[in-house]
Amino acid sequence: MKFDGEFELDGVPPEKAWVVLSDPIAVRDSLKGCQYITPMDDEFEWDTYEPEADIPTLPEAEADDVAARAFRSGQDYAALMQVGVGSVKPKFETTVTIEDRDEEEFIMTATGSGSASGSSFSMESGMHIHPQEDGDGSRIEWWTEADISGRIAQLGGRVINPVANKIVNNFFTSIESQMTDVEETDSGVTDKIRGMFG
Amino acid sequence: MSSEPDTPDAETEYQHDDDGGPDPEKHCGHGRGGMGEEVTRKEDKRFITGRGNYVDDIKKPGMLHCEIVRSPHAHARIEEIDGSRAEAMDGVVAVLTAEDLLEHDLATMPTLMDDTQDVLVNEKVKFQSQEVAAVIATDRYAAKDGAQKVEVDYDVLDPVVDAEEALEEDAPLVRDELEDQEDNHIFDWDTGDKEATETVFDEAAVTVEEDMLYQRLHPAPIETCGAVADWDPGMDKMTVHMTSQAPHAHRTLFSQVSGIPEHKVRIVSPDVGGGFGNKVPIYPGYVVAAAASYVLEEPVKWIEERSENIQTTGFARDYDMTGELAATEDGVIEGVKVDVLANHGAYNAAAQPSKFPAGFFNIFTGSYDIEAAYGSLTAAFTNTAPGGVAYRCSFRVTEAVYLIERMVKVLADELEMDPAEIRRRNFIPSDAFPYESATGWNYDSGDYEKALDKALEMADYDHYREEQQRRIEEDADKLIGIGISSFTEVVGAGPGKQCDIAGIEMFDSADLRVNPTGNAVLRVGVQTQGQGHETTFAQIVAEELGMDVDSITVEHGDTDTEPYGLGTYGSRSTPVAGAAAAVAARKVRDKAKSIAANELEAAEEDIEWERESGEFHVAGAPDRSITITEIAAGAYMNHPGDEEPGLEAVNYYDPPEMTYPFGSYIVIVEIDRETGEVDFEKFVAVDDCGNRINPMIIEGQIHGGLAQGIGTAMLEKVTYDDNGNVTGGDFMNYLLPTANEIPNFDTGHTVTPSPHHPIGAKGVGESPTVGSPPAIVNAVVDAMSHAGVTHVEMPMTPDVVWETLDEVGLAHQPAHNVEFDLGDDAEPADD
Repeated sequence: MKFDGEFELDGVPPEKAWVVLSDPIAVRDSLKGCQYITPMDDEFEWDTYEPEADIPTLPEAEADDVAARAFRSGQDYAALMQVGVGSVKPKFETTVTIEDRDEEEFIMTATGSGSASGSSFSMESGMHIHPQEDGDGSRIEWWTEADISGRIAQLGGRVINPVANKIVNNFFTSIESQMTDVEETDSGVTDKIRGMFG
Repeated sequence: MSSEPDTPDAETEYQHDDDGGPDPEKHCGHGRGGMGEEVTRKEDKRFITGRGNYVDDIKKPGMLHCEIVRSPHAHARIEEIDGSRAEAMDGVVAVLTAEDLLEHDLATMPTLMDDTQDVLVNEKVKFQSQEVAAVIATDRYAAKDGAQKVEVDYDVLDPVVDAEEALEEDAPLVRDELEDQEDNHIFDWDTGDKEATETVFDEAAVTVEEDMLYQRLHPAPIETCGAVADWDPGMDKMTVHMTSQAPHAHRTLFSQVSGIPEHKVRIVSPDVGGGFGNKVPIYPGYVVAAAASYVLEEPVKWIEERSENIQTTGFARDYDMTGELAATEDGVIEGVKVDVLANHGAYNAAAQPSKFPAGFFNIFTGSYDIEAAYGSLTAAFTNTAPGGVAYRCSFRVTEAVYLIERMVKVLADELEMDPAEIRRRNFIPSDAFPYESATGWNYDSGDYEKALDKALEMADYDHYREEQQRRIEEDADKLIGIGISSFTEVVGAGPGKQCDIAGIEMFDSADLRVNPTGNAVLRVGVQTQGQGHETTFAQIVAEELGMDVDSITVEHGDTDTEPYGLGTYGSRSTPVAGAAAAVAARKVRDKAKSIAANELEAAEEDIEWERESGEFHVAGAPDRSITITEIAAGAYMNHPGDEEPGLEAVNYYDPPEMTYPFGSYIVIVEIDRETGEVDFEKFVAVDDCGNRINPMIIEGQIHGGLAQGIGTAMLEKVTYDDNGNVTGGDFMNYLLPTANEIPNFDTGHTVTPSPHHPIGAKGVGESPTVGSPPAIVNAVVDAMSHAGVTHVEMPMTPDVVWETLDEVGLAHQPAHNVEFDLGDDAEPADD
């Protein structure tokens, strides 16, 4: 199944959008049903891992912390995500690998796969942040190609598509409000962070 | 197994009674609940008071619960299974994989078509939801939670779900583990005389051809499959309570698979909530429960969920057919040809005991006297659940009847003939029986025209033909369609020349014991899933012994106590076990005569039994009579010196031939040209199942089967997406008819006894599911045939019908422009 779309963030320049979308904690907070996104290694235990609560994001967070935890190419992340599709509400144990991050063009691609109670999926996703053509904001282009199997897939596109669209729309709406928060703070913070990524 | 038949046509000594057997003209039952009486079902008291005892009602001390881990992928290699997270959970006792089963040689099991199916997948998953591992836990919740924590690493492969695509050269290979299997082709089969048929077609004045798919269905019994397996290490005995339509056959197969000697295996099929063929095969869940009980030495229960039942157990149909007829200009059918592509799923596991790979499909000449017939079929493996026969179908008679009854309608339209008239012109005449068909079937008896005439009259056929014409002329919003199906079934599997299960011929059995106080217990080798055996078989004994039906208890389903039988499916219980019950009763009656002679102080040859009174009396002296109750006492308290005490008999009945019930169904529909909705205006079903034992039970069977026929024609289809996901695998997406979709049925009957059956009966359970779908499709087609429609594929949902209407310019736009005012709150609510 293919999903893609675009989202406009008025008044948020691509640099700022890139910073927020690179922060696993900000992403988690915006993704409904997502309990954590955390770097994982071979020792990672799904059953015992407890995510830290109340981690601050920008603007409250320390810029150094945000930079330190930002997504890295080649790194695997564990994500626990509960998705409600019809009467089915499985918790997906998902492994996401950041395949590529282009700091100049603001392109990030990732692959992932997850499974939960009789359903599984694998996906290839990406996003590209463009400057807004008629404004000082950003235009975020995103795409996902997902292979879904099992119980959720059995429900078919007419059930899955609205759920997927809703998750994505909620995500960007929430990201937009986070961006606005960043905007209101000293712009020096974002410059500093940007400098650290370089 | 006893009952060695002398010849395939062997007749038993008691098959034809001295007095001619029950009289179809009288059918009075003599007031004792015998043949023809509408005796209230004995089993209903427990069912309607909630006292039925189904597999899931069985609870044993220390019983564990089994949950199956299933593959979300349709085609995938298993790299690794890690059960450690599940095993660490509270309540989880064990996680079983193919590796564990291999240790006990239980990793695979044979199918009924000589294929080998994984019990738990060893290397490669071949269809979605296939069994991969099992979690055994102290309760059902823990088992389910545990199953979610079993980690399976899959290497996902491209699946193929369509039979035609499966036979293409570059198709993914479903069965790469089989030696010499280089493609997905299973077998080719043909029947009839190809050359003669081609000649008839070459010379025919008229030929017609039509493609039709008999879609994949599922029997969907309301009770899903399940088992409670209990290995007793003290007795070295395995007891399995399971949802089985064939307990003895399952005992033999269980013993063969497990290596446990057959006398140490007990299969009990308690009350079963519908079978319809779904509970004929052995499924991995049963074997896993038994293996788990054996290993853990505790009882283990496995109960299937609804979606597991639909997605993994024996499906039905999936025949992609092309039919052709050759005929004269005045509608005499001279030849029939059929070509089929059959999707058998991932294993060749069709639940059918016939010696033909396509079951009884070769009865596709139907009720018609057709000179030449030829059929060919190719079967393919796909990444879908295995199956192909189950579902009230008499082993593919359903597909055959659909084909011929659809084709007769196609021919009638081509020739612009009345579909009733064209049938009449081609019926096998009633004086031509026994009749041998072009494909080698020996029809026992029939009077097809009589049944059709009765149905036409009941349907008020001429009136509706006029009404149909009027609506066409007036361009009315609702069209009328009239569909006919004059089907013939072949049931009662069956003679050894045509049927066996794992080499065991398909006789059936009855063991009748009369107690000293004059009542009796009849044990039969068949088993009921709702058919009413406990009543019907008691009525046969009541008829043949002159006992009261209330004095007879029928037992079934427990292999420790019942005589060996082959089970209930294919409408075989009355034709085979019903015959055995009658013969056993006649044997008892014979012994009763000697006891009567002793009691009445007369010579045995002077004792006569009178069917009407049910009493034994001295010839010429009707006053000197004695009842079976008095004789029973004599058998135990005053038995003749030259006889053994007691009064009982056993019969293993080997049927000399199949029986051929038939009927004519007429369906009148009204089609809404705006919405494509189909309403049933009239639904007439005239059945002939030979002599009728309990008319009320027969009518109940007909009603249920017609409802299922409506489901087939209008609603049901198991669908898959390209990834092999089952998208019609639950009751949200696989639509069963409810009371809302079911019209009133007008049922009627004719009686044409089977000449070779001891009581002249034939089977009836499958007639309505076999006979009704073509009548319904013929009706829908008939409503649009004036505009050139020759076929509509099932299920005929409103969108399918509307598209057909639209294609031929019959669709109406809504008469009024409807404006939808959703107001300000039109945004869908956020949940």
